[in-house]
Amino acid sequence: MSKVYAGKKVVSGVVRGEVLVSPEPLCFLGGVDPETGIVVEKGHPLEGRSMRGKVLIFPIGRGSTGGSYLIYETAANGNGPCAVVNLKPDPVTVVGCIMAQIPMVVYVDEELLKTAKDGDIAEVDGEAGTVVLYPKI
Amino acid sequence: MKLTPEEERMLAGEMGEPCRKAMEIQVQLGEIYNAERMIEVKNVHMPGSSVVVAGKAGTRFVEEMADKGGCFKTFTTLNPAAGDLDKWEEIGFPEDDMDLQFRLTGAYRKMGAVPCHTCTPYIAGNTPAFGEHVAWGESSAIAFVNSVIGARTNREGGPSALAAALTGRVPAYGYHLDENRVGQVLIDVDNFLKEPADFGTLGYWVGKIVQEKVPVFWGFNTRPSLEELKMLGAALASSGSVALFHVVGVTPEAPNLEAAFKGYKPEFTLHYTKHEAAKTVQTLNKHKGNRVDLVAIGCPHSSITEIREIAANLCGKKLSANTGLWVMAALPIKTMADRLGYTKIIEEAGGRIICDTCPVLGSTAAVLSKWGYSSLATNSAKLAHYSPGSWNLETYYGTLDDCIKAALTGRWAE
Repeated sequence: MSKVYAGKKVVSGVVRGEVLVSPEPLCFLGGVDPETGIVVEKGHPLEGRSMRGKVLIFPIGRGSTGGSYLIYETAANGNGPCAVVNLKPDPVTVVGCIMAQIPMVVYVDEELLKTAKDGDIAEVDGEAGTVVLYPKI
Repeated sequence: MKLTPEEERMLAGEMGEPCRKAMEIQVQLGEIYNAERMIEVKNVHMPGSSVVVAGKAGTRFVEEMADKGGCFKTFTTLNPAAGDLDKWEEIGFPEDDMDLQFRLTGAYRKMGAVPCHTCTPYIAGNTPAFGEHVAWGESSAIAFVNSVIGARTNREGGPSALAAALTGRVPAYGYHLDENRVGQVLIDVDNFLKEPADFGTLGYWVGKIVQEKVPVFWGFNTRPSLEELKMLGAALASSGSVALFHVVGVTPEAPNLEAAFKGYKPEFTLHYTKHEAAKTVQTLNKHKGNRVDLVAIGCPHSSITEIREIAANLCGKKLSANTGLWVMAALPIKTMADRLGYTKIIEEAGGRIICDTCPVLGSTAAVLSKWGYSSLATNSAKLAHYSPGSWNLETYYGTLDDCIKAALTGRWAE
């Protein structure tokens, strides 16, 4: 059964993709390799996982403003996520997604972070500010 | 957020794609911080001007904005670069970094920036007025322009400062608003501070405790100099993330204690004595022996007064054969030092004036390894803060006089 989560739009665009979910905040500068899209931060729940083409769901971004450029570079290299969904917006991730034109929705219910599992399919509507989750059967 | 018709047109892309994208960034930042409107700015100091910060990605993004016809609506100055734009080769800044740097500087120039590449734009030709809304990056310059000049800026990062330059707008939040400029912590300072490094030590101690709050300094019996206020702000912004401070009777928003706190009570009071100063100096000194390879003065970039003092102390003398001296300064200040004969004195002693860059924002590791430097002495609390962690250097911190002595003898005198 699919479920609709209403949030707030940040960057427009409608995309559908496989979910990659992190229960912990994500730091792009130093935490993600732009040449591969793989999370390289030691001890991070997503360490060793690629965000390429995924609907990336995490609570909030953290770290220096250089992180915005890193999101842009990762996307420019074709290794970026197809959409970003955050519980709360932070300036670094928001600016990075605008620069890279990655559809982004924020302020979704925390339940999404708890329910969504890697491999589920999600449809992110950056116009309506919604996320539709289709659990993997 | 309420936008003016002109701002709506920017957002609709009627003023080009770079302006549209930049406006989108400003609107979204405004939404995050609950800004009700945009404020017009005519003055930007651009962080992320060094490729050490912007990287390949930032450089490509800035180039993309320039290629698509981006044009700065503001007077825009650039923060330090990865190396000295003229003398990078003889100093040893790596060629590939400098190639990228020339692309980045070129793209900013194309959009209208002044490539002064300094962290002290306020003494190199960019001086906003009291109360003026600006968009500045570079933590030490932010502290100076907010506090000493009384202009108003948030702590802008690379992309948001770029967006401010392209749109001439910033969202109205944070330090742009009166209510966020009120003093929060009272710093009662014993009256023993004599020179810039003493103010850096004070700032370093206070910043660590107050973090991002607004400290109010009280107790100096003489008016701090420009150099002292520069060191104070730089240190406050390196151990903490202070963007605004007040000095009672000195900075423009604090003619007296009541004005600094707008009638509110301080959240808490700190008392600064010789004891705290001595402990802080001890924390910033991280060395085993006493050998000094490199003396670095000018973090933030030196004023002409500081260069004059260095030249006066070096006149007719020679540096220790194994010790280097870098005096970092903005190009206009160096030009003045050339004319005054200070550059010649410093060079004849064996030191050099370096422009456009600094250890913190430059491709420093390569230069240090070229010269075989493994220890650094400085009168800057900010540089002493970064030096051990960033380049694994043994670090000596003291007054300008201590540093000059170290340059002449090659040893740090305890």
